[in-house]
Amino acid sequence: MKAANKPKEKFRKRDLISWLVMLPSLILFAFFVWEPLLENIRLSFYSTKMYETVAFTGLKNYNLVLHDVDFMAAFKNTFSYTLWSLVIGFFVPMIIGVLITETVHLKGFFRMAVYFPNIMPSLATIWIWSYFFLPGATGVLNIIAGKMGMGPYEWLNDPRWTIPLIIITLTWKSAGSTALIYMANIASISPDLYEAATIDGAGIMQRIRHITIPSIFGIAKTMLILQIISVFQILYEPMIFKNGGPNNASISLMMLMYRYGYRDYNVGKAASLSVLVCIILVILSGIYMRATREKEN
Amino acid sequence: MKKKLISLLLCGTMIAALSACGSTEKAAPTETETVEETTTATDDAAAEETATEELPEVTITLGMYPEDTLVDDIAVFDGYIATYQELHPNVTCVPDYYKYSTDTFMPMVESGNCPTIFESWFTEPTKLIAQGAIADITDELEARGWLDAMNPSIKDLLSDSNGRVYGVPRDGYALGLMCNVELFEAAGLVDADGYPTLPKTWDDVAEMGKAIKDATGSAGLVLLAQDNAGGWHFSNIAWAFGATQLTIDNGDGTFTSNLASDEAIAAMEFVKSLKWDYDILTADPLSENWGTGFTQLGTGNAAMYIGANDAVAQPTQVNGLPVDKLAMTAIPAGPGGQYSLYGGTPYFFSKDATPDEINAALDFLEVMGKAPVATESSVAGMRAGAEANVANGVPVIQGFPCWVNQDYLDAQASVVNEFSNVDTKLFQSYFDATASKGLHLEEPGSTQDMYAELTKVLQAVLTDSNADVAALMKQANDNYQTILDSTFGAE
Amino acid sequence: MWFFDKYNDKKDGVIRGYDIRATKVKILALIIMLVCLLMVCVSLFPALWVFLASFKDIKEFTRNVTIFPEKYDWSRMLGTWNAFKFTKYYKNSLIAILGCSACAIIFNGLLAYGFAILKPKGHKIALGLVMWSLMIPGITSIVALFRNINLIGLNQSFIPIWFSFGANAFWVVLFKQYFEGIPKELLEAAKLDGCGVLQIFIKIMLPLSKPILVVVAIFSITAAWSDFLLPYLVLNGTDKTTVMVKLFSFKDTPTDAVSVLRAAFFAIIPPTVIFAIFQRQITDGAASGAVKG
Repeated sequence: MKAANKPKEKFRKRDLISWLVMLPSLILFAFFVWEPLLENIRLSFYSTKMYETVAFTGLKNYNLVLHDVDFMAAFKNTFSYTLWSLVIGFFVPMIIGVLITETVHLKGFFRMAVYFPNIMPSLATIWIWSYFFLPGATGVLNIIAGKMGMGPYEWLNDPRWTIPLIIITLTWKSAGSTALIYMANIASISPDLYEAATIDGAGIMQRIRHITIPSIFGIAKTMLILQIISVFQILYEPMIFKNGGPNNASISLMMLMYRYGYRDYNVGKAASLSVLVCIILVILSGIYMRATREKEN
Repeated sequence: MKKKLISLLLCGTMIAALSACGSTEKAAPTETETVEETTTATDDAAAEETATEELPEVTITLGMYPEDTLVDDIAVFDGYIATYQELHPNVTCVPDYYKYSTDTFMPMVESGNCPTIFESWFTEPTKLIAQGAIADITDELEARGWLDAMNPSIKDLLSDSNGRVYGVPRDGYALGLMCNVELFEAAGLVDADGYPTLPKTWDDVAEMGKAIKDATGSAGLVLLAQDNAGGWHFSNIAWAFGATQLTIDNGDGTFTSNLASDEAIAAMEFVKSLKWDYDILTADPLSENWGTGFTQLGTGNAAMYIGANDAVAQPTQVNGLPVDKLAMTAIPAGPGGQYSLYGGTPYFFSKDATPDEINAALDFLEVMGKAPVATESSVAGMRAGAEANVANGVPVIQGFPCWVNQDYLDAQASVVNEFSNVDTKLFQSYFDATASKGLHLEEPGSTQDMYAELTKVLQAVLTDSNADVAALMKQANDNYQTILDSTFGAE
Repeated sequence: MWFFDKYNDKKDGVIRGYDIRATKVKILALIIMLVCLLMVCVSLFPALWVFLASFKDIKEFTRNVTIFPEKYDWSRMLGTWNAFKFTKYYKNSLIAILGCSACAIIFNGLLAYGFAILKPKGHKIALGLVMWSLMIPGITSIVALFRNINLIGLNQSFIPIWFSFGANAFWVVLFKQYFEGIPKELLEAAKLDGCGVLQIFIKIMLPLSKPILVVVAIFSITAAWSDFLLPYLVLNGTDKTTVMVKLFSFKDTPTDAVSVLRAAFFAIIPPTVIFAIFQRQITDGAASGAVKG
């Protein structure tokens, strides 16, 4: 009864409590995500000794990064990584999702099996794949190829194939979970749509094109941007496989950052490279968000 | 104190239960510290009763304590600690195993957990000194008279441009060519007395490697092309081909890159032919690094590998090669002569260590037999180490002299003779060569960057049979010059 | 034929029950079946291989051109297990996982509750910040983060590892989307009954959100088990070393390839066991959790 008299005050109190509920989580975000990002920007303008800033050097670190002998290679590779991850990483989960949907036997088993690589620790899978791609007779893939009378192949040592093969291992790892999401979306399509299409004389391929694909288009856009962002995080695969080689054929921007920071102990240079990567990501994300918003309107 | 205050403030804002948990976690170490201090104090009190002069209480943490899987080594090391505690009751030794790696080192120093003394790599001094990450120990070494005992070239490697010294060598090393005797025997490469005929020149390596590969299917040579160790090994080959100066010191603090000389290109062409003409390399040089090379050699997957005298435990103890099946010869000669790279594996000291702590740690090196003295405890330390090597099937061979004072060298030689477990003929040519003029220090300048550039070329020529060696070396030369200019200033 | 009969009851997908009468569709169904079986092989083979290869000794591994080991000698496995003290690493990993999973559910859940239901004034700004951090990988600022952890004296402790899981934008989004689907009437009714903000969360939201709780719990458990960069920087060299930290440290330690493989095999066992037990919940959860994304 009193509450009705001063709704505004009550409202404020509830706001306060709400913020208090969210506060611990926001502190964690601030500590683990936001503050380090800002700190990174600050560090990128300083010369450093260990983690301590020594002197403000303006854009010197950025200049060093841009003129680094390996930077252009890493930058170019990023485009190659992105391209291949669009070709392989984006479509494979969709295809898996569609195919498994069309089975009736062992469906649960298929879902489980394709998801399985996803729960394997990435570090363990990188070690395993490095033995799969070993050139020479004892590499696992060459053993298999040999049984079929082919090979031996050079795999990652052929610079034309290094990046596509890395993307394949990444896709192997993550495709299952994305495929499950697509499957759930496909399952929620109303059967009436298919039946209506059938009555209109649409064949199976046409039904896929006009019903299945459009219905997963929305989720696919989200997956696409997540895919591109994940490309900028590629670090351990090229590092453990070939240390960025052969001759820089697979070096990634993040790997270069890791080298500056942890091999050369040059924190300022590492920070400025990661700021550059962040800028690229912010631009990409901005484009994406704008695009989706326009679509919604 | 300040740290604790900040942490308390931050914890206060978090949920009470969790912050409580946090403070217990933090309180625990303090408690043990106090306990430790009390023990030290009691020890000290006991010591003071017997000793007349008052000694400062010191605690040192020992980063070179063996990894917990190496049970035998731990037993030996615990013996060192026991001996040390008898001699220096005022010092508390805390084992604190730390395996140096570039990605953990700086975080560890930053958090104040750097051990008082730890082992590092030969690649690291310049960088660590520049970052101020390790202690200057010149004064302590001076007072002990160790400065003059140190092999001058190794001392240079551990010093900054002002001649201040930052490390103590654990071992000196000179690179040689390690050979798997089993494979040489299998390929019939033995002389009338049954000794393996070891290669003397790089052409020998190519021919013998081919003979071994044809006879056994195992690779002739392990060549590294994964990381900087590839360029490190390659510089030996380049010198042998006559490219004895890959970096030219201009004398005014600047350097000129010299990677594209005809000799260096010839050396790289030779490496290329090892892959594409002779085909004697392991399946994937791009996956080979310092450690895997020893695996290939030790397991009989490859017959020859560039390795140093201080790494003989790698093929044997770690990878199972019988102790009498390892031979070592000098780095092969080429058209330009014969050169072996030498250097030292260093111990460094925490930048936060006090002079007392540094001295206590240096005392500990004496007990380990790693110091330039021949005291009773020092010799006992050498003997314990040699005994453990014999038990583990590791060849006991002469070290490369990192200290040059005669009493130390004599003591070391007598220990090696006493525990010798290998036929010295299998190592003779290596020791002959490293005692001669063919020793070569690492190139000056920004050496690790030079290795990185050379490794990229190695990767290219080993994966592409049509690679244009001259163009690649030119590119590497340009890249390295850019790095030299930005590090040391342009000419 | 029994194989095709079952297609008559097919409820989803492009191929409908009535299609299967055509021979062309029958062939298509068979091909799809075969392709799916092939995908299963590709998915499972690496794990199977590491199991088989772990039985080899180093000589056999580097020299023999075989998939299967000469003999299945469990004592070799046990030897590596004991030599590297994996029991201890397993224990440490368990401690890390439990804390991480709890933090992931509590903190991300509460934040999502704020964004989806409470919506206090100004929450859009915070939401925007959280969404942006979804776009920027945390690895870019790992150096600065580590510096902060040192600054407040939490190095060499599990605490930063646990709490780092409490700030995951992806899980916040998952929770938020699920919470938004909870009928508002239920919440209004609870509010009228005099339930406080936290009470509503505990008494209404959580019981209604079991599916998403399971999803985030499982995601966070597998993520915590696999997490290694921050744990490596914070815990390496302490007695709190986890399985992944050990596995990562092999890159600098000369260790023979077979030991690394066995360690990798040990690292795969727990997630595989969890997966074998909860496979239904995991695959259903993984799909339903993100379905509205």
